[in-house]
Amino acid sequence: MMLTLNTISRSYGRKRVLDGVTATFPTGLTLLVGPSGAGKSTLLRLLATAEKPNGGEMAWDGAALPGSRKALRAVLGYAPQAVDLPEDLTAREFALHMAALKGLRHAEADAQFGAITDRIGLHADINNRIATFSGGMRRRLVFAQAMLGAPRLLALDEPTAELDGETAARLSDLIVERAREAVVVMTTHLADALAPHAVQVLRVDQGQVWPA
Amino acid sequence: MSIAARPGEVLRSSLDTSLLRYRRSWGLWLLLLIAPVGARFMISDESGRGVVIAVQDQLPILTSAMLGVWLGIVVTTLLLPVGYIYLRANTNRRQPWQVEEVTAAPRVAMLIGRFAADAAVLLGTLGTLTLAGWFLGWLMVSGPYHLWQIAYPLWLIATPPLIMLAALRILFDALPWLRGALGDLAYFFLWMASIVMPLVGANQPSSFTSNLFDHPGFVRPLAGPEPAGEMNVQIGGVDPATLKPGRIDLDVRAGLHAQGYIAARLAWIGIAVAMVLIAGLIYRPHRVGRRKAGQGRIARLLSAGPPPAARVDAPAARPAGLPALGLVLAEFRLIGAGRLFLLLAAAVALMGLGGDYRHMGSPAALLLLIFGLCAHAGRSEARGLLKLAVTTAQSPMMRRAAFVVAGTSWALLLAVPAAVVRGSGEPLALALATGGAASVAAMVLAALTGSSFAPRVVLLIAWYVYLSS
Repeated sequence: MMLTLNTISRSYGRKRVLDGVTATFPTGLTLLVGPSGAGKSTLLRLLATAEKPNGGEMAWDGAALPGSRKALRAVLGYAPQAVDLPEDLTAREFALHMAALKGLRHAEADAQFGAITDRIGLHADINNRIATFSGGMRRRLVFAQAMLGAPRLLALDEPTAELDGETAARLSDLIVERAREAVVVMTTHLADALAPHAVQVLRVDQGQVWPA
Repeated sequence: MSIAARPGEVLRSSLDTSLLRYRRSWGLWLLLLIAPVGARFMISDESGRGVVIAVQDQLPILTSAMLGVWLGIVVTTLLLPVGYIYLRANTNRRQPWQVEEVTAAPRVAMLIGRFAADAAVLLGTLGTLTLAGWFLGWLMVSGPYHLWQIAYPLWLIATPPLIMLAALRILFDALPWLRGALGDLAYFFLWMASIVMPLVGANQPSSFTSNLFDHPGFVRPLAGPEPAGEMNVQIGGVDPATLKPGRIDLDVRAGLHAQGYIAARLAWIGIAVAMVLIAGLIYRPHRVGRRKAGQGRIARLLSAGPPPAARVDAPAARPAGLPALGLVLAEFRLIGAGRLFLLLAAAVALMGLGGDYRHMGSPAALLLLIFGLCAHAGRSEARGLLKLAVTTAQSPMMRRAAFVVAGTSWALLLAVPAAVVRGSGEPLALALATGGAASVAAMVLAALTGSSFAPRVVLLIAWYVYLSS
């Protein structure tokens, strides 16, 4: 499995955030680092098909997008930084709704959600309404829904932000495990801790991407 | 991981979660309570208390069937905007689109699920209104009292527009440019058109086509199956002193069973379902973060421009001498944010220089202010921001008061050129009344609903009444 970008550009008005980026994301963990506002989240949104590039080509397993977008979305797990979570649902209800949208079996998704949340210290709260969740709990919930199924492309935007050291480490373990058989691309402020497990660390700055 | 989500599962999940969220929101229970309580005020007697429906300047005899027709017509004409506000401002307006839109789930199935939940809630409200109608009928009906004859016309008239309303909400949510203020404006015009359109088909003999123009469904029940000619029907806002004595006997059942009437009602339900399917096919994802600013001369004119040079040695800001005044000025700037607003404000002020100020300059200024006020009120009453605002020295109530003062000041400012040219205080008095009322209404409704949808629609309707009176 491999995701490739060829001279990808993304602009907002006259501001060019990504300027002819060419990169390859193989199976394994890829870390994106760089200063705030450099375009890391924009790059992740492009990989997750949440946005379209203004120019250039993307391909998943050799098949060019947008033709293969549906196939890519069927194997995608995406955890953006901000999500308008449905405050009046419980974490479990929200996760099972996401599982239905991903085409997962209800009972199996329920069991898997229980297992993931148990490992990241959220299990005791999954039947509580999201409205009662702290910032860190919301992060973990968004991460857990991204992990549902067996995503072969996992795009994670600062999944360990707002977490204490121990919880962040548990979550990182899960990411590293998933990266053994999936393309995992993440931005993180814990790059030093995760770098030994990464197949590559890419620096995003001034619209360009290169090995850090 | 399976390759594609099953449409049936997606539909069921969207329906279930939407209904669950509705059930847990106080808004639904309030709506279900208001419908039967409000039913009494939907039916008027000779005193004019309640909504008047007059045919040939007379109130109709209140038979069981007429009671159902009366309630149905009030729902499909006067109360539809309330339903629209509820659908747009309710708990389901916040969806986790950031993660939903990147799934392979079919949009059509997702939207049908949400549409079904919205329609179920509106029809549930119609159910409680039916119960209230039965109770009212027991008290008020002349002649035989039949539960079925009350419920049947009510549901036949009101169901299609309510389902259509649910479909319209889904369609508006599918397109980025209709998700905000433009959608509310579009709904306002559609609602007005839906009330005027029936008169197009009223002159023709009853047929499927002529009844299709009658979206609110009031022509045939009130005018009968024959061509209505110049229809003398008044709904709501009627001075009881203008009514003729006695009551008119209408055979509403003949109208309900007129050629093509029922088929046209069912067709509107079909149109609503088709609209949801189209919404699923044309669905466009939300824009993330920064919007496309556009390019060219107009974009440059409307852009905020480069920031002022930063002073690295700038000292810490000192407390304001008059913090309340600072708050009013801040609100004033935020209501009129952006060069587009300022350009339109200049145009509106110029419009007030000529013609009849009451019917030109004043409505134009009020319309501009409605959009500025509602946008800012909706933003500042967002729940997340309020949590931050309560921690500041100026309380949220103080800020709301400053908003009203600032909004009224904008109205006065826009009226100043007209007052100077005419040498009259009348434009300023009008601005004080309309600007003050609009500011208070915008803030109260935004604070109650936490969004700008409700104030915008209510104020647009009030604006139309002001313009046409």
